[in-house]
Amino acid sequence: MSIASTAQFICFAALSITLVVGALGVVLLPNIVYSAFLLGGVFLSVAGLYLLLNASFVAAAQVLVYVGAVNVLILFAIMLVNKKENLAAIPGLALRRVLSGAVCAGLFALLLRVDLTTSWALPGPEPLGDEATLRIGEHLFSDYLLPFELASVLLLMSMIGAIVLARRDVLVSDVITGEPVDQGLIEKERIPLLLDRSALESSLLEKTP
Amino acid sequence: MLSLLLLIPFGGALLLALWPGNPAQGRMRTITLVVLGLQLAWSLVVLARFDPGNSAMQLQESLGWVGSLGLDYRLGIDGLSLPLVLINGALTLVSAICTRDIDKRPRFYFALLMVISGAVNGAFLAENLLLFFLFYELELIPLWALISIWGGTNRAYAATKFLIFTAVSGMLILGAFLGLALFTGNADFSLAPITSEQLSMGSQLLLLGALLIGFGIKIPLFPFHNWLPDAHTQASTPVSVLLAGVLLKLGTYGLLRFCLGLFPEAWVQLAPALAIWAAISVLFGSLAAIAQKDMKRMVAYSSVGHMGYILLASAAATPVAMLGAVFQMVSHGLISALLFLLVGIVYRKTGTRDLAVLHGLLNPERGLPFTGSLMILGVMASAGMPGMAGFISEFLVFRGSISAFPLATLLSMVGSGLTAVYFLLLVNRAFFGRLAVTAITDPVVHGRLDVNLAAVAPRETIPAMALAIGVVVIGLLPAGLGRLSETAATAMVQLPALTAALHGVALPSGGLG
Amino acid sequence: MTLIGAYAVVAPTITSLQLNAGAIAPEMAVLIALLACLVVDLAGEGVASRWVPPICYAGLLSALVLLALQWDAPLEPSFLGSFLADNLAVAFRAVVAGSTLLSLLISWRYVESSGTPVGEYAAILLAATLGAMFLCGSTDLISIFISLETLSVSSYLLSGYMKRDARSAEAALKYLLVGSAAAAVFLYGASLLYGLTGGGTGLDAVALALKTSETPVTALALVFVLATVAFKIAAVPFHQWTPDVYEGSPTPVVAFLSVGSKAAGFALALRLLVGCFDSFETQWKLLFTVLAILSMTLGNVVALAQTSMKRMLAYSSIGQAGFVMIGLVCGTEDGFSAMVLYMAAYLFMNLGAFACIILFSLRTGSDRISDYAGLYQKDPLITLGLSLCLLSLGGIPPMLGFFGKIYLFFAGWADHQYLLVVVGLITSVVSIYYYISVIKMMVVKEPQEASDAVKSYPDITWSVAGMPSLRTALVACVLITAVGGVLSNPLFNWASATVAGTPMLQRAIASALPVALG
Repeated sequence: MSIASTAQFICFAALSITLVVGALGVVLLPNIVYSAFLLGGVFLSVAGLYLLLNASFVAAAQVLVYVGAVNVLILFAIMLVNKKENLAAIPGLALRRVLSGAVCAGLFALLLRVDLTTSWALPGPEPLGDEATLRIGEHLFSDYLLPFELASVLLLMSMIGAIVLARRDVLVSDVITGEPVDQGLIEKERIPLLLDRSALESSLLEKTP
Repeated sequence: MLSLLLLIPFGGALLLALWPGNPAQGRMRTITLVVLGLQLAWSLVVLARFDPGNSAMQLQESLGWVGSLGLDYRLGIDGLSLPLVLINGALTLVSAICTRDIDKRPRFYFALLMVISGAVNGAFLAENLLLFFLFYELELIPLWALISIWGGTNRAYAATKFLIFTAVSGMLILGAFLGLALFTGNADFSLAPITSEQLSMGSQLLLLGALLIGFGIKIPLFPFHNWLPDAHTQASTPVSVLLAGVLLKLGTYGLLRFCLGLFPEAWVQLAPALAIWAAISVLFGSLAAIAQKDMKRMVAYSSVGHMGYILLASAAATPVAMLGAVFQMVSHGLISALLFLLVGIVYRKTGTRDLAVLHGLLNPERGLPFTGSLMILGVMASAGMPGMAGFISEFLVFRGSISAFPLATLLSMVGSGLTAVYFLLLVNRAFFGRLAVTAITDPVVHGRLDVNLAAVAPRETIPAMALAIGVVVIGLLPAGLGRLSETAATAMVQLPALTAALHGVALPSGGLG
Repeated sequence: MTLIGAYAVVAPTITSLQLNAGAIAPEMAVLIALLACLVVDLAGEGVASRWVPPICYAGLLSALVLLALQWDAPLEPSFLGSFLADNLAVAFRAVVAGSTLLSLLISWRYVESSGTPVGEYAAILLAATLGAMFLCGSTDLISIFISLETLSVSSYLLSGYMKRDARSAEAALKYLLVGSAAAAVFLYGASLLYGLTGGGTGLDAVALALKTSETPVTALALVFVLATVAFKIAAVPFHQWTPDVYEGSPTPVVAFLSVGSKAAGFALALRLLVGCFDSFETQWKLLFTVLAILSMTLGNVVALAQTSMKRMLAYSSIGQAGFVMIGLVCGTEDGFSAMVLYMAAYLFMNLGAFACIILFSLRTGSDRISDYAGLYQKDPLITLGLSLCLLSLGGIPPMLGFFGKIYLFFAGWADHQYLLVVVGLITSVVSIYYYISVIKMMVVKEPQEASDAVKSYPDITWSVAGMPSLRTALVACVLITAVGGVLSNPLFNWASATVAGTPMLQRAIASALPVALG
């Protein structure tokens, strides 16, 4: 084993361990701020893995987009709504945890099995190194032109949607008829029929003594 | 030619639905009567054009409809369907006539009546399996609405029960039709080229079984009869007339046309079991009728019994028995319609159908003498007194079946005797004896039995009179109907496969495929 | 050095290849309408409510016309293999565009009277349409993913559009979480497929790679991709989002989701499973048989117990998707045409039903089934329309749905899918029961049994802007549902022409044929 491959292996091991431990921390830690910071760590380790794979452009994009934008946004959101709130206890939480743990373990076992039984020596294109950027640009304007252009619609729509959901100016009246409106569903919420009856009965019970 | 039998009622329904303004009930009834009269007249024209000597489908019409489904618009008529079309025309007219005072939504009511009539005509005339199924299902929702809107107090339950039973029957029939058409490789569902002989006996029996249960629900036969008494007791009189007289015939028609006609080989295999089934159904219907306290329920159970004869006859599958089956369909249509009409009159006048309450209605001064006389006539016809339609049909059925299935036929004869028992009970309790002097009030039944019953206006009994005359005429002059259906009935049981199987001759395999 | 060489090889191919951008002309029409809506919306709410509807109609109608022009056109892959406008794509895109058109027609009054901006609503719905239409014709994994996301993100936004309503917000959040999970699963599966092809994302390349390698990875990829498809068409057990989302979303949005989004899902299913996973035919057919049986059973049985009209239709749509899956599992010519036909029929009958319940909720503010009691007296139009559409959904002749359902059963039986057909027959009896109970509420209940909502029913007026279009959509849907059955032969021909003009389906049929004979 040459020094280069040893170094590569050590980097891979370090990055992977950071990744797995960080990801576990994200979902298991009770403090949401820690989770957010750990998520940043996870993103960074993924970027490191990309670098190891000679995909420097993807690594850079990962750092810029996920760490620089997404994770920072998450932190902002957490800080903006930094409110201690005692959540109501979920009944049967332990059982739910066991069940979801079992499902995840099963999925993990399945993946492991697939991983171990597959011969991964699949033919693939040669890594391009730093020239990948060029190649990606080429793809974006040739055979991936359609998804590339469609992505602009997707982004536009996400932006508009975010504005729609976030803006405060509320129409107080129907533009056409001028009736007052509440920006809710037309089908108003009602007490379900079955509850109606029990409410009636309980009010009757209160009256009797 | 035949299409007019569909176009007239459907067009009439559309006309009534789109009639401008809000016409009075009488006006709508008149329109309906005119339309249904036209339909009856046109079926008489069809009768005149019909050649009784020809056993094939006649006056055929064909029009491509949905090619990829194999659903063609093909109509034809033969000696089996013609009497039923006539019965349908007559009884729908009768039930429209005897609809005098429905309390609500006359437009909807009469339109539904015409839709049902058209759909039933379509089912009798269809020469394509899917087309038959389409019309068979088409009549479902209107009848459901007729029961559930204009029915008695417990109508929602009865209507839903009817709906579920009939929907299940429809699905069984559809499944069997799909199976038959696709197993045999005849992806066009037309009646003519389909033969089941190329199938293995197992799949034949399976498909036939599905069809038998499907039509058995509709007819109804013993274990599947559960919906009928409820539907009848909750439905109003005209709807009962229609249900008993016409709609049950869809089941028996299907039994003859599709079960016997399409699966002759499997039919022969099953015939002994079917005969026993028929006998059980007859006995059960009769015994259950004896136990009834409600006149209408009693008549309804008598239907269960009398429809068993048709199964018996078709199980025997001799020419005489088949003719008997056709006769029984016609005569049961007329007789049960007559009985339901009379029960309806009694109910309207007295406010009850309870046999424990009714008494001495034949009283000439204060009772319902004329209705009572007609009732006695109807009961006699139903019990198979000679000189009336019931006798001819029962005689033919038993005569045709006794050689094939002596035991089942004897049991059915016992059932026929029981008919006399329960109908005598009915007549004895309700019509004979003394009419009560004081008013009887019973909290269970709504209304009370007035000791001075309002006179029955002649116009109320005219439809019943007409039916009674029909019953007697067929009983005295059966030759007319016989000539009409004889060829078809004979042809039906002389399918090569059936004859071969009956006489124990092995058919060359695939000879007809 | 290698790079320059590769570049030299690639460059001339790029310049010499045709984009065939004409294939996406219908989408362009929708996109232009979308942008026009956004621009008009800048001028204020009053102007928007005046001008947005005609812009949308123009865009969608021209999209439909352009689609009609593409019918049976010579097939050329466009965008270097990203998109293919075969007849299958044209048919499903037409269903999607039609469903958007009808949903928009029934939306205006609903959106105005809830006080939410019309311009953005239309724009987001058009974006969802765009995504769904691209999804129908996409032929590489990246395009599929992006169009799927365009559809999904717009759908999340639409379900949360009534943002002041907790139910709407809940619906959007649930949809977002479950939908993102499904998207992630799809991406995982797609990345496995990408790896298998050795660097290609076109469905042709994927199909080729799957034929040659039958490793466990392919099975895993199949399961992942299939889960996404099942999520999109709301097949049991991937249906849990449906009832809550349908109940909480604005009703016109539900109308679109139940038809347009589902149609796109089925197109995707056809492209991926039939076009791509054909070497795993037995496996995915088995899985889909299970899904279809579960969907038909659970959807129809749970629908029995619903008290809310929207929830009932949600479960019924799960059941209906189960029926359509029969056609997918068959994989015969009849099976595919039955699918196409049933989707087209479902478009009209389901949107007709939604038009009626929107009209009812506009007038009474309720979607509880028991509130429909005695409606025939106050509003014959809704009663008639809803009855006909529900009967059609239940498969009662002579409605359009009857013919569609018969065709599905016919195809299923011809392909020896007896179990599926039997389950379908039984569950359609069940479905008749719950559709009839709604009709019973409306038609059978007498005036004295009428609900409070019906007793205080407002006078019927059609003068308010947005109501005439609602009426147009309602009448059109009901008419097509009622009369379309009797005149359904052109529709049948259209469905089989769709299958005949789609090489991918033809290949599948041809490869299935020897098996059927043997």
